Amino acid sequence: MLLFVSCPTLVNGATSRYFLLHMENRFGLKDLFLFLLVCGLIVLVLLQMKQYDRQWDVVQEVRNQVNDQTKDLARIERMLQQGVVSTGLPTTTHAAPPDVDKRVRRIHSAPDFATGDDVVDVLLSPPDKLTALINVDLYSQQIQSYVLDTLIDRDPVTLAWEPRVATDWKVSPDGLTIDFNMRRGITFSNGDPLTADDVVYTVQMVLNEKIEAPAQRVYYDKVKSCKKTGDYSVEFVFSEPYYLAFEVAGSTQILSKKFYSQFTPQQINESTGLLLGSGPYRLPDPTSWKPEPGKPVVLVRNERYWGVPGGPDRLVWRIIELPAARMTALRNGEIDMFYQPAADQFDAAKADPQLSSTHNTFAIPTLDSGYRYIGWNEKRADKPTFFADQRVRKAMTMLIDRQRIIRDIVHGYATISTGPFNPMSPQTDPSIKPLPYDPEQAQKLLAEAGFKRQNNALFGPDGKQFSFELMYPAGSSTGKRAATFLVDAMAQAGIVVRPAATEWTVLLQRTKERNFDALLAGWGGGAVEDDPQQIFSSSAIKGVGDNYVQYSNPKLDDAIDRARRTMDESQRMKIWHEVHRILHEDQPYTFLYADEELDIVDKRFKGVEPTKFGIVKQKNEWYVPRSMQKYHD
Amino acid sequence: MTEINVSTLTPPADPYPAPNAGNVVDAPVSFTRKVLRLTFERIGAQLGLFWIVLIMVLAVFAPLLANSHPLAMKSNGQWSSPLARALTPTDVTLLIASFAALVLWRLKRIRLATRVWTFIGIIIVAAVVSCVTVKPPLVQVYDTYRNGLVSGEISKAIFVPIHYSPDDHQRDVEDARLKPPTLAHPMGTTADSADLASNMIYATRIAISIGFVATSVAIVMGVIMGGLMGYLGGWVDLIGMRLVEICESIPTLVLLLAFVSMFQNHPDQALYIMMVVIGALSSFSYAEFVRAEFLSLRDRDFVHAAQAGGLPLWSILFKHMLPNGMSPVIVNASFGVAGAILIETTLSFLGIGLQNESSWGSLLEQALGAGGNVFWWLAVYPGLAIFLTVLAYNLIGEALRDALDPRLNKMA
Amino acid sequence: MLTYILRRLLLMIPTLLGMTALVFCVMAMSPGGIGGAALAAAGGNVRGAEAARIRAYYEKRYHINSPLIVQYGRWLNEISPIGWREDDDGNFTTFGFKSPSLGESMERHRPVGDLIAESLPITLLLNFITIPIIYAIGVWTGIRAARHRGGAFDSIFGFTQLAAWSMPTIWLGVMLITFLASNQYLHWFPAAGLNEMTASQMKFLPFFDPAHHWHRGWVLDVCWHIMLPVACLSFGASAFLTKLVRGSVLENLGADYARTARAKGVAENVVLYRHVFRNSLIALITVAAAILPSLLAGSVIIETIFSIPGMGQLGVEGARFQDREVILAVTLIGGIITLVSMLLRDIFYVLADPRVSYD
Repeated sequence: MLLFVSCPTLVNGATSRYFLLHMENRFGLKDLFLFLLVCGLIVLVLLQMKQYDRQWDVVQEVRNQVNDQTKDLARIERMLQQGVVSTGLPTTTHAAPPDVDKRVRRIHSAPDFATGDDVVDVLLSPPDKLTALINVDLYSQQIQSYVLDTLIDRDPVTLAWEPRVATDWKVSPDGLTIDFNMRRGITFSNGDPLTADDVVYTVQMVLNEKIEAPAQRVYYDKVKSCKKTGDYSVEFVFSEPYYLAFEVAGSTQILSKKFYSQFTPQQINESTGLLLGSGPYRLPDPTSWKPEPGKPVVLVRNERYWGVPGGPDRLVWRIIELPAARMTALRNGEIDMFYQPAADQFDAAKADPQLSSTHNTFAIPTLDSGYRYIGWNEKRADKPTFFADQRVRKAMTMLIDRQRIIRDIVHGYATISTGPFNPMSPQTDPSIKPLPYDPEQAQKLLAEAGFKRQNNALFGPDGKQFSFELMYPAGSSTGKRAATFLVDAMAQAGIVVRPAATEWTVLLQRTKERNFDALLAGWGGGAVEDDPQQIFSSSAIKGVGDNYVQYSNPKLDDAIDRARRTMDESQRMKIWHEVHRILHEDQPYTFLYADEELDIVDKRFKGVEPTKFGIVKQKNEWYVPRSMQKYHD
Repeated sequence: MTEINVSTLTPPADPYPAPNAGNVVDAPVSFTRKVLRLTFERIGAQLGLFWIVLIMVLAVFAPLLANSHPLAMKSNGQWSSPLARALTPTDVTLLIASFAALVLWRLKRIRLATRVWTFIGIIIVAAVVSCVTVKPPLVQVYDTYRNGLVSGEISKAIFVPIHYSPDDHQRDVEDARLKPPTLAHPMGTTADSADLASNMIYATRIAISIGFVATSVAIVMGVIMGGLMGYLGGWVDLIGMRLVEICESIPTLVLLLAFVSMFQNHPDQALYIMMVVIGALSSFSYAEFVRAEFLSLRDRDFVHAAQAGGLPLWSILFKHMLPNGMSPVIVNASFGVAGAILIETTLSFLGIGLQNESSWGSLLEQALGAGGNVFWWLAVYPGLAIFLTVLAYNLIGEALRDALDPRLNKMA
Repeated sequence: MLTYILRRLLLMIPTLLGMTALVFCVMAMSPGGIGGAALAAAGGNVRGAEAARIRAYYEKRYHINSPLIVQYGRWLNEISPIGWREDDDGNFTTFGFKSPSLGESMERHRPVGDLIAESLPITLLLNFITIPIIYAIGVWTGIRAARHRGGAFDSIFGFTQLAAWSMPTIWLGVMLITFLASNQYLHWFPAAGLNEMTASQMKFLPFFDPAHHWHRGWVLDVCWHIMLPVACLSFGASAFLTKLVRGSVLENLGADYARTARAKGVAENVVLYRHVFRNSLIALITVAAAILPSLLAGSVIIETIFSIPGMGQLGVEGARFQDREVILAVTLIGGIITLVSMLLRDIFYVLADPRVSYD
């Protein structure tokens, strides 16, 4: 562009007679057009080359698939010739082991069942990595759960442990040694057999410091050793009794030793899509996936899957960043489902007659949803604050209309929390009812604690005005709305709240230093059985513990300790109930609410049964009757 | 003896009459006055000035235009003024300052300099006194007035034109969030269930103060830097120019984000810190102008004379050289104010600006809802306000530039 | 001339060093220090001691606890083509030629080079489409206004020019989305992104499929998505350019050589387009160097409003999370682009105006 500008002025520098004589040399308008045309052609040629590359990739994929199928056919032919019939290559529902995929089997026995069709879900942004172990976000884990298998699995409704790759297990009386017997005949999606070697290899990989998987590694802290006791049996030995030991050992997602040992740890860390497993679905190419804006993530059926095959042929996740565009895509049918829309989008979908006739909406309380809370800091600069008094904390809870918060801010899609355990978890004591919204009672409690009211404001026993700073993470619109709500609610009672939206790093620093008055935040969920030790025990007040509010109750510490050492689940739950009661009485936090999972799913999908974990992890159970199928291959 | 009436005596003729002695029109006019007259002759600058005066009036009289507290209220047979009691020191200082400005402006007989210093003095005294004496109530619950009117506790209440404060979240109404304009809320409501018109009026304060403070900081810092660089030359100039180049090449937004997050520990002073930071980052362009002017002025006779006279450095720089080199700074000051307002809008739009008070930028940000809905009233009104303010400053800047640059005068 | 260019290129290096060092210091002084937010995000849902262990792992991996000079020195070593090579364990081995790399992002755990390779073309695409448009509009309108000075076009133009220049980009973007790209009013344009979701499956050129449906094709699809962002970006800049062109053309129309040409009997048209036009472009060149950096800054806002995953968004995210490598890389590249465009401007200034010489 600047070149064009310079040339004419170049010429202009000469005298006019000169250029009259050399008019042919002038760079005129038509030369410009020629120049632009040439540029345009070059660009188009480049684009054409790029498209050719893409076609080449697709051709390669198809070729790989054909190769795989040829190999399989050759193998079957050989086996038939040798007179061996159907060894470990189940292709029908009946050939799958009966103790696995029970829910899928039951749902697929419906009369209108048919395999086929795709489930198109939507993601906010392309996952950075799908490589096993080193993935860092929630969506990657969702995708991986369809590709990788574990030794055991929880039934999503009864929460009981079900066999998966492991057929049976034995836990030693002291809880330190766990033996698993594995199934024979399972292969990974590329045909390699799955044996105990792979389990041992997986644990080795997790514990390998060179692999960038610190989040997984911390759970395997207490694993002293994992070795094979036979071709199809492994033994885990733990260094100390740990109530999560069984869960940790059994939930190891098994990786293929043969596949992953081709790569150095550095290569694995830098890779974006090394994902190979034995689950019902697989990546079309287990080595070459890269996140590309606009390109959906696709999982195809694993033809070699050893359990009950999933209903859909493919699982697709489209990437749409803008929330408005996601709703449009749902309306146009470009995506089939929407996991976790915003509350007002969800309401708009329910109210829209066209959308609600073609889609089902679900609001499901889930076990792993975490909760929001307000933490009252009990000590600041080594001096107890107003919140050190249990009556004050109780009064604060009673001044907050939690139902109204749920109604206004999350449109009703949440349940009030009474403790650190999820309302649906067995750890919660079902007899505990939330403290009511009772401002008068709250005022009585505050008066008991020595507060006096003077022209509409409350003053503490030492004469200081009751005013505190409410810290919450900046950038969270729910947080801001909740904070403004609290400001007004407290103002009614004469308490001045100064909201402070704080950047995440500053917030972390201040909570680490215990340098705040009150904190409005949330804890994420994820575990079925939650461990409150890190947050509420006195050992967590100093150092790296998360007891930001510096709450200390020896009875609580003792109860938590006992629970962690109790291996028997039903006994342990009784102790957790005790913990719940103590926390409800003491109110170190005002527990606000636990979110529900919101989903909008196309009505053509049958077999969508809400579980305690929502519905997105159960896509293999869904199916579409043949007549309603949309994507045919 | 005839009485001599002194008044009828005419003075003797002056043998050396001063040129144009009797002609008032040709009396010498100061440079400032001439520039101001030329600037505000143009219709564009007049419109710009009108708008700026309008938003200043809105800013000063905000509590009297939009307030949830009634101006006068009769409860239990007694009249009271909750509004007067709820005034903050800022409100009181602004009201006193504007009244003083008006009075001083009319007193044309006193010298301008005296008037300016008196004005500054009055502001400082008013600020100090009001901080000490004015005490708004510690807790404000706006619902009590509306509830009181309904329940009958308050028999009569007189409200100001917009009877919602900017932080009145209407908790007594079930769902007032993001509602389009109605009679009760002529501009609609915000994402916090507050009245938009009220928020816009109070946001004028933020817009004005950011513009002026940021630009003042920028000018002061830029003049000092540029003056030193231009006058001293040598290695001071070399290093200074490198520094300016570096700071200008950095993606400003990234630097601003990094700076702003640095002061997160003081949320109450975030506004002032942001103004200073924006000012500091904008000061480099002023430094360049001043440096260029000073480089050319350095070899002029009057500077040599001042140096020979042994005047101190600061005197030479600021009393002698600066008045000659100020014109590019003044022209760009107006554009600089507009620029500062735009930067603040951008930061608020990205969610980094002020959290507890609404500025026009943060209101604009609420127009695009998370669920894909768009709320046109939040897009049109705050955006229009920003646009008109920036346009006003640009118009005045253009007019100033045309008035100050004689060459351009002939052309346009 | 060559020595001048060489000298400028060499002078760029200390400026770039200074820039990156300054940004690095500012980052280090922010709360949380380098990588503060990224480490925090890495902890995720894990509590207390476990989170601390995860943080410790990442601190070791990204050398966050080393003294600032060491961290900065490491980064310099990374980006230079001559330096110490680093093996997988992080130990330095031989000194010599090596391939420069931009490091790994602490928040997204991917090589920064990849991230930039994905986002830079998008930002450049946006800007390089905008520049010809603003020049075309600016030149055409400016000449028209200068030719009919005082006429209707000129007066209207004068009035709207300042308005267009004062229009805040954010407001323009929000208004365009609200009224032209949303479901509630007119949905002529898409509201976000640069591609439809099915972009990777599209053919490049528009075509008709067997069922006689017309498909847009990749190229036209990108064009359609890019219209609103480009409109926003070019609005203010073209107004500015127009005024510049108008002023410059007017100045030249009154110059001596134009008068001579008219005296010689040359038609007014010819005077304008053959003589005056080229001289007035000198002013445009001078301003060209300032346009690209300001467009880059403007595109940050546009990218945020329209959700376009370009370099501006990358920089903002990096600044938010205090991701050392990303911020330094973005600063470096932004600085290189700015300095190179300034150099190009000076070079073309020489080419354009033979009176100017730097030797």
